[in-house]
Amino acid sequence: MADKKKPKRTKEDKDEDLPFKSILESDEAILKLLKSYISSSLTAAGSSGASSSSSSKPLTLADLSLSSSCREVADLSLSSVQTEIETVIVQIARSILAGDGFSFSVPSRAASNQLYVPELDRIVLKDKSTLRPFASVSSVRKTTITTRILALIHQLCLRNIHVTKRDLFYTDVKLFQDQTQSDAVLDDVSCMLGCTRSSLNVIAAEKGVVVGRLIFSDNGDMIDCTKMGMGGKAIPPNIDRVGDMQSDAMFILLVEKDAAYIRLAEDRFYNRFPCIIVTAKGQPDVATRLFLRKMKMELKLPVLALVDSDPYGLKILSVYGCGSKNMSYDSANLTTPDIKWLGIRPSDLDKYKIPEQCRLPMTEQDIKTGKDMLEEDFVKKNPGWVEELNLMVKTKQKAEIQALSSFGFQYLSEVYLPLKLQQQDWL
Amino acid sequence: MAGGDSPAETKKGSSKTSKNSKESTLKQKSPAEFFAENKNIAGFDNPGKSLYTTVRELVENALDSSESISELPEVEVTIEEIGKSKFNSMIGLIDRERVDTKLYDDYETDKAREKRLVKEARASEIQAKNLASGKKNKEPGVSRVLKARGEASYYKVTCRDNGKGMPHDDIPNMFGRVLSGTKYGLKQTRGKFGLGAKMALIWSKMSTGLPIEISSSMKSQNYVTFCRLDIDIHRNIPHIHLHEKKANKEKWHGAEIQVVIEGNWTTYRSKILHYMRQMAVITPYAQFLFRFISETPEKNVTVKFTRRTDVMPPIPIETKHHPSSVDLLLIKRLVTDTSKKTLLQFLQNEFVNINKNLAARLIGEMGPDFSPGMAVKSVTSQQMVRIHQLFRQAKFDDPSGDCLSPAGEYNLRLGIIKELHPDMVATHSGSAQVFEGHPFIVEAGVSVGGRDVKQGINIFRFANRIPLLFEQGGDVVTRTALKRINWNSYKINQTQDKIGVFVSIVSTKIPFKGTGKEYIGDDISEIATAVKSAIQQCCIQLKSKIVKRLQAREQQERKRSLSRYIPDATGAVYEVLKQMTEEHTKKRKRYKEEETAMLEKVSKLIITKETLKEKLAEHVEQVDYEMALEYATQSGVSEEPRENIYLQQLNPNHSNFIDLHSPTFVFRLIL
Repeated sequence: MADKKKPKRTKEDKDEDLPFKSILESDEAILKLLKSYISSSLTAAGSSGASSSSSSKPLTLADLSLSSSCREVADLSLSSVQTEIETVIVQIARSILAGDGFSFSVPSRAASNQLYVPELDRIVLKDKSTLRPFASVSSVRKTTITTRILALIHQLCLRNIHVTKRDLFYTDVKLFQDQTQSDAVLDDVSCMLGCTRSSLNVIAAEKGVVVGRLIFSDNGDMIDCTKMGMGGKAIPPNIDRVGDMQSDAMFILLVEKDAAYIRLAEDRFYNRFPCIIVTAKGQPDVATRLFLRKMKMELKLPVLALVDSDPYGLKILSVYGCGSKNMSYDSANLTTPDIKWLGIRPSDLDKYKIPEQCRLPMTEQDIKTGKDMLEEDFVKKNPGWVEELNLMVKTKQKAEIQALSSFGFQYLSEVYLPLKLQQQDWL
Repeated sequence: MAGGDSPAETKKGSSKTSKNSKESTLKQKSPAEFFAENKNIAGFDNPGKSLYTTVRELVENALDSSESISELPEVEVTIEEIGKSKFNSMIGLIDRERVDTKLYDDYETDKAREKRLVKEARASEIQAKNLASGKKNKEPGVSRVLKARGEASYYKVTCRDNGKGMPHDDIPNMFGRVLSGTKYGLKQTRGKFGLGAKMALIWSKMSTGLPIEISSSMKSQNYVTFCRLDIDIHRNIPHIHLHEKKANKEKWHGAEIQVVIEGNWTTYRSKILHYMRQMAVITPYAQFLFRFISETPEKNVTVKFTRRTDVMPPIPIETKHHPSSVDLLLIKRLVTDTSKKTLLQFLQNEFVNINKNLAARLIGEMGPDFSPGMAVKSVTSQQMVRIHQLFRQAKFDDPSGDCLSPAGEYNLRLGIIKELHPDMVATHSGSAQVFEGHPFIVEAGVSVGGRDVKQGINIFRFANRIPLLFEQGGDVVTRTALKRINWNSYKINQTQDKIGVFVSIVSTKIPFKGTGKEYIGDDISEIATAVKSAIQQCCIQLKSKIVKRLQAREQQERKRSLSRYIPDATGAVYEVLKQMTEEHTKKRKRYKEEETAMLEKVSKLIITKETLKEKLAEHVEQVDYEMALEYATQSGVSEEPRENIYLQQLNPNHSNFIDLHSPTFVFRLIL
């Protein structure tokens, strides 16, 4: 790959059309820099060794003496899920037969029931529950749907098969009306039973893709992600299929968007700088988040994020890092700690002289989101992020990753990223 | 629109200031001439609008007149269509048949006629087909006869009131001289320009040349003045045809004004009717009778807006200027007009919110050239500028809203109920606020549902208690209602519900925008905020009513909506139980004791889908009963919306009642 690239580059530009190209050192020098950084960060982790590993690894909710108790779920085996459901159903049946109707006690997933725990650097769910009685006009629908979903999952447990969320929805379209309703109840159910969504044997359609220096087994088949063609390998929807991860990469590059991912994949960026490139094409799904966490935990690589320079880019970053409010009950399994914000950062707009016509004015909604994010704890904990976000809100300008294409389609992979790596410019 | 007989030569003359002219070509323009040439600023843009403006000027004058003597207004407006031949006979012109038909603009060429005939034949064919197929026929497209250019329609507009009337000798000058009024205090007034009927007179002079007829009688007079006059536009003086006293047989007082003008009823019909209806909303204490008399009787319109209350808002009080609202010119005029001698007295007496102490401080601030005792008439123009500047910068208390006369929440509410018959209505009256030294009060009403109300938001705007109908788009009320109110949060559906938004703003000076003074700009944040909060207050009131209504509906439908889900829920439960039973009998899984007990019942069909269903239905029944009981105790006696009724006052001359007394009530027979 590399020799194919070199002649192209030398003939294409003589350091003039691509700005900042001149500062760029040779790939070898950058690689050296990177290696030294990684080894130093590793030794740093190693030196604080016992304390850091013990604090990062086994630190759980139970270790913290939080004022309010929190709820977390665990992976459960199929049979224990089945038993849980059966217990619930028998209770319901008994209650009905006693003439008392029935009701579910569902943990509330509202924003007021969420808590950001700085020690864990993720959002967790507090223990507030709401009662969902059948005999109430406002909750009868949800209660019925919950009962129905419980019965359906019970069937899955008996047969030991996986279905998608879409499948589940189509089993009773008339009752569920639209998929958002059955999806929401599904999350309620996993929260109620105290298990992860994957342990309910319900999966979402494949969304994320991965390419680069990674080898893993998917349901027993060995996959080499450098040999998956340009598009890469779709991330398996259920993480239990994934194992035996191996890699010689130096870092993981998390990309917000498909377009930038395709650019990097086609340019075989991972061959120039050994890395693994992942994208969930926008808001990340559960599978991608689980996969990223697994990679981070098993391979112990730094994760660098390439997102748009707008409030939503940072929001996506936060979902990978601290979890979403919707699934905060499972944040322990879904979040990846210590993601570095590589770009595109608001300060890059001027630093890389991105032309005015490629920047977009932020809408009022954007600015409001930006200001709201400044209040969020996961932003506040990182002073660098606060600074960048403040700059964004102040300049009222945003830019997508694609804005870099104004210097040529390959500017991203040829100059921007290498330069970023060389300067170790991440927060 | 070069004004009919307003002199074209004036324009020519003034543009050609040649030295060899016979006389001074720089002619003075009379105020009447100015308005004749710029009639669009007074709302006389075209014949249709002129008809509308004439009606509104007359109606507003009538209301002002009745209110000034605290009489409940009774206004009769009649518009009579006058055909061309009738008009010609009125002015003494003999009808002439067209001889050279090709001379005219509406001449139909042979080709055009052919086309028209083909089209008509096709239309009738389709109609016949539809008839045959039994389809309901739509209104057959009436072939619209285009009104030819130059064929004007004429209307006689008559407006009769029970107001103050006018003094016999003043009538010619009141109508025949533009800007002859002396009303230059500061007061909340209906009129926008103070032109009133004069503009109608100028328009009639321009379009028909017919004089205006005025009958008037005052309370103390035993005669009726009748006056027929027109206006000499160039000299701006009345030209009296007839000015006489007649016997007043019916003890009538008030005025009746009759004017013949060119107009257009077809295009402005709905505007005029809207105007009358909205006027009835904001003035429910008045009685209006509106009649349109056409040459074809089936087009006649008669609308009566009856009185629903006898509570009239107080008459607005004339007030003095607020120092922060005056301009240089006004200071000059006040200085000239004042009867006060010294500067201190002048400041203290000619403005609101300046007391003696403050006046002295202000004079001290003006500099060494000023002293409290200096004669006010000796103030130079330069010094006036200093006073003006100080007025602009100094801090004064806000003027009070006491001088204003808002419609009142009660009247607004009555007006809305009377004219729209809404399902629900809420009104709110804000406190007085200030914009550039002028106090203003915003009142609002929001109604839901009703008769003749379109779906969505219907906006009714009032400024100083007259409706505003034109240029709705830019108005502060429209903008606020459409953009800044989140109707959803008040459980009101912006597109589905029939919403009426009524906002009445009164002020000593309404900051109108646009040439026709037809809307209030959206750029004044004081007014915009006041409007928004007034509407929101109404919405908050409505919300509780709407929520109550929704609850009532929920009460009725609860059992049904709960029962609908019974089969689904019990079905799912039973399904799991059955599976468990199967597992249990095949001994694939061990269950706890209490569970096995139940599973055995399932296998013996003691527990079936049906038993679950029945039991759950029983529970629903019970809950429904309990909740209904709770709702009943909570809401108390069922509250039907009470509606105020207005009883007409009895004729006090009637006193021969027969009273039938009982210990608990009196039954009175009115004969």
